[in-house]
Amino acid sequence: MESDYPVSKKTRLDDAMDSEMEEVPSSASGVNPNLHWTQWQILDSILPTGGFAHSYGLEATMQSRIVNNQEDLRSFVIQVMENTGSLLLPFVYCASKSPDAATWVKLDQLLEATLTNEVGRKASTSQGSALLRVAASVFTEIQALQDLRQAFLGSKTVSFHHAPIFGLICGLVGFDGETAQRAYMFVTMRDVISAATRLNLIGPLAASVLQHQIAPDAERMVQKWRDRDVADASQTAPLLDALQGCHAYMFSRLFCS
Amino acid sequence: MDAAATGAVRVEKVRGRSALTQCFARYPLKLIAPSKVGPASCDAVWLYALTYGGGIVSVYKAVGSKCSEQLLEQARVGEDALLVVIPDPVTCFRTAQYYQKQVFQVFANSNLVLVDWFTSGRYESGEKWDFRFYKSVNHIFLGDQPLFIDSVLLEQGSNSTIAERMQEYNVIAMVVLLGPKLKHIQDQMQDEVRKLMSVQLRPPTSGGSRYAMRSQSSLHPQRPPLIASCSPFGHTGTGMVARVAAVSTESVYSFLRHHLAALEAFLGASPYSAS
Repeated sequence: MESDYPVSKKTRLDDAMDSEMEEVPSSASGVNPNLHWTQWQILDSILPTGGFAHSYGLEATMQSRIVNNQEDLRSFVIQVMENTGSLLLPFVYCASKSPDAATWVKLDQLLEATLTNEVGRKASTSQGSALLRVAASVFTEIQALQDLRQAFLGSKTVSFHHAPIFGLICGLVGFDGETAQRAYMFVTMRDVISAATRLNLIGPLAASVLQHQIAPDAERMVQKWRDRDVADASQTAPLLDALQGCHAYMFSRLFCS
Repeated sequence: MDAAATGAVRVEKVRGRSALTQCFARYPLKLIAPSKVGPASCDAVWLYALTYGGGIVSVYKAVGSKCSEQLLEQARVGEDALLVVIPDPVTCFRTAQYYQKQVFQVFANSNLVLVDWFTSGRYESGEKWDFRFYKSVNHIFLGDQPLFIDSVLLEQGSNSTIAERMQEYNVIAMVVLLGPKLKHIQDQMQDEVRKLMSVQLRPPTSGGSRYAMRSQSSLHPQRPPLIASCSPFGHTGTGMVARVAAVSTESVYSFLRHHLAALEAFLGASPYSAS
């Protein structure tokens, strides 16, 4: 499926070498300035993708007393980011490098088999479908998004998982792979910390302080886990995985996952 | 381990009964097929795999920078057949590096029980999550479509050690139950795990961090000593995976023994029975 939009964009594999061939209007820094606005909009929590409904397993770890205070929270967020890097960044990366339907379907099906934790799997599909719906409505200059959504809505062959869709959108919009992966890490960190404030584990100001303090850790995770093939995707937090799976067993809970 | 251990096994229905029609192993792998594990009325073939240098209880220690590798390249489980993989836990000593990959090829009505678990090391002697590298990969394919792709990686990190991430938990286990023959076992496990966990999960008292209690003892009084959760997988809904984290190996043996007891009907003996 070819993408057809004003900003010329590589849609082929192995595009690492192709950056210098891109023909776009550029500012002094060499990047199309319109891309900044798109990027900031994708990262803004105001984008209605439903991320606020998910705690990434935080609620279950609190109810089992594994995470009790801000110190525990810091360690938890870092572990979630490490796991995001090891398990999900490959899907973001591969989708952003080849933002076409055939690649996306394969990645989506592989992630469906890889997210063996039902709680995490459902969170991923609900966020992914919401993101695709929003992106297709917002980035109307990218016909490929609407075409993709039309072609697969209601289909049983795909589940609309979050990471591949995120990567696909970033790729179509014009982000390079590193930016796409960093962005995915950012939205994950943002949503976990936001969940922590709503669970009363940390106040909003302290949460912002924490977010800034662990930014270097987040960047380290991006550099450590970036540009890997999906064949190498692994989970690195088995304790948290077992706990997140307990989410549905909680009698009273705030979040979907 | 220098030479790659290699072997091949085939179990087929011969004149209505399961029979080992091929069994080959090259040193340092040894395969033992005892004939009298279950009663004669039971139609199952039991196989024990040993790797010299490892023993039946898998124990791994790095020699120089070499990584111990265990590869089960292709296990084909036919329609209506049942494969049960019930190893003891992998125990990695200090500085060990371990990699394991198991690939299963199944069909619509194949049945598979797969237990994959490991401990923090010789934790009673103080060796707790001291190994350098552990990676276990389990792939189940339905035809050429990925059905269950699991990969667990634990590596000592510069920021946090494995021990810091695992806290007081010493055992991680995964149990995969796939196939129509296992439905009753799946349902029972789901129900019991839900009951076990729901009583141990409670919202924190209001004010979160202000009421946090940091216990002096290594085990926080309110933390569950065994955590388990079950998830279905696969579009046909015949798959289920249980993930377990526990403080003691014995508690996981107990968990496995209890939940897999019904397999005795198929195997002639109960897995992990205390002996």
